[in-house]
Amino acid sequence: MQRIIDSILKKKDVLVFLILLLFSLYLIIDSNYYQKYKFINLSNNFVTNILQEHSSIIEYFKLKDYNTDLIKENINLKNEMLNNNYKNIDSVLLRKKFIYTDAKIISNNVSFLKNYLIINKGSKDGVIKEMGVTSPYGIIGIVNEVSENYSSIMSILNLNSKINAKVKRSNYFGSLEWEGLNTELLILKDIPKTANINVGDSIVSGGMSAIFPENIKIGVISKVVLNSKLDSYLRIEVKPHNDMSSIRNVYLIFSLFKNEIKQLKEKVNE
Amino acid sequence: MNNSYFSIIARFILLILIQGFIFSKFDLFGTYDPYICLIFILIYPIKVNRIIFLLTSFSFGITLDLFTSSYGLNAAACLSIAFLRPYILNIVFGYFFDPRSVKLIKTYLKDSSIYQKIIYLFIMIFLHHLIMFSLEVFSLNHLPLIFIKTINTSILSFIFCSTFIYLFLPNEK
Repeated sequence: MQRIIDSILKKKDVLVFLILLLFSLYLIIDSNYYQKYKFINLSNNFVTNILQEHSSIIEYFKLKDYNTDLIKENINLKNEMLNNNYKNIDSVLLRKKFIYTDAKIISNNVSFLKNYLIINKGSKDGVIKEMGVTSPYGIIGIVNEVSENYSSIMSILNLNSKINAKVKRSNYFGSLEWEGLNTELLILKDIPKTANINVGDSIVSGGMSAIFPENIKIGVISKVVLNSKLDSYLRIEVKPHNDMSSIRNVYLIFSLFKNEIKQLKEKVNE
Repeated sequence: MNNSYFSIIARFILLILIQGFIFSKFDLFGTYDPYICLIFILIYPIKVNRIIFLLTSFSFGITLDLFTSSYGLNAAACLSIAFLRPYILNIVFGYFFDPRSVKLIKTYLKDSSIYQKIIYLFIMIFLHHLIMFSLEVFSLNHLPLIFIKTINTSILSFIFCSTFIYLFLPNEK
C-alpha cells in the first residue's frame, strides 16, 4: 500500500495535469449549459462587463460609419414603402408575424472554426433561444444561449450553422453553410444541377424555418461549380453582404408563430 | 526570486489584456488571429515548481477563454503545452537543458543556435493550436480543415511571438 502511495506521489505533477485537463474538457463539453455553473457565470459577467466598457469606447470612433449605415437603410426602406403603396392596405387585415428589437454586439470573434458572438440583451429583455439575428446588410446568426443579461449567437461563420436560403430569382431552396477558412465564402447546398442559376443572382432567406422571415438579404452568388458529372447537386459559392468582423448594431427577430409551428411538427411526428 | 515572480504576474496581466483587446480582433486575411499570449508559457522560468507552472498555465488559459468566449479550449491547450514543455525542451535543447539550474528560458534562447529556437517556438505554438482547434471541432470529418487552419495560424503566431521575444527580451535584465 505504501508503495502505491509513494509511486502516486512521485508522479503528482502528472496527476495534477490529468485533473486539470479533465476539468477543462468538462468545461468544453458542458459549455452549452454554462449558465448552470456559477463560477463561469459570475466571472463571465465580470469579463463581459469589461468587454462592454471597451466596446462602448470603441463605438465613439465609429459613429460616422453607423450614421451612414442608418441613412442607407432608411433610404432603402423609404424606396420600398413608396413604390409598394402600403397606404392602400388595411392594417387591420394584416397579421403580424415577426417583431424586431435591437441589440449591440459586445464580443465578436471570427478566428475560430465555431464562432459565437455575444450581445448585450438577455432573458430580462425577452430574448429566447432560436431567435434570428440580422444586421442592416443581412443575416448574422441565431441565438443559441441566453443568460440573464447577455446572450450568445451562433454566427453564420460556424461549422454547425445551417440556414435555410433560396435563390431569389428562381426560388430554389437549399441550406447555407460555412466551410471554415474564408469569411467571404458561404456554400449553398442541395440545389440540383438542373436548376436555373447564374452568377450574380442574389440569395435571400427562405422562410421555411420560422426563425427568419422570407426575403432577408444574405449575399450574391460568386461562382457555380459542378463537382463531378455523377454528382447531382451544384456547389454554389455565395459572397455575403455582411463584413462579419465589423458589425456593431444588430436586430433580433422574434417569430410569433414559432411555437405553433413547433407544436404542429411535434404532433405530426407522434 | 521575488523579482521573477513579479515579472510573471506582470506578464500574465499584460499579455491577457494585449491578446483580449488587440490581437483577438486582428482578423488577418479574414479569419486568423495571432496568439501572442503564448509568450507567457514559452518564456516561463524553468526552475519554478512544475505543479505551480501547470496551475498558472491553466488559470492563464481560463482567463483567456473568458475574453474570447471559448469555454475551456485555451485552458486545455495551454495546460497541455505546459505539461509537454520539459519534454520538448529536452528534445530540442539537449545538453543545454539542466533542470536543476536556475535559468530563465531567455538564457537558453541566447546560448542556443537559431535553429533550436525556431524549432522550440514552432513546436510549442503548433501543438497549442492543434489541441485547441481539434478540441473545438471534435470530429474527424473536418480533419484536413483543422490541419490547414492550425498550420496557417501557427505560422502567423510564430512570426508575432518570435518578433516580440526578439524585441523585448534583451531589455529585461
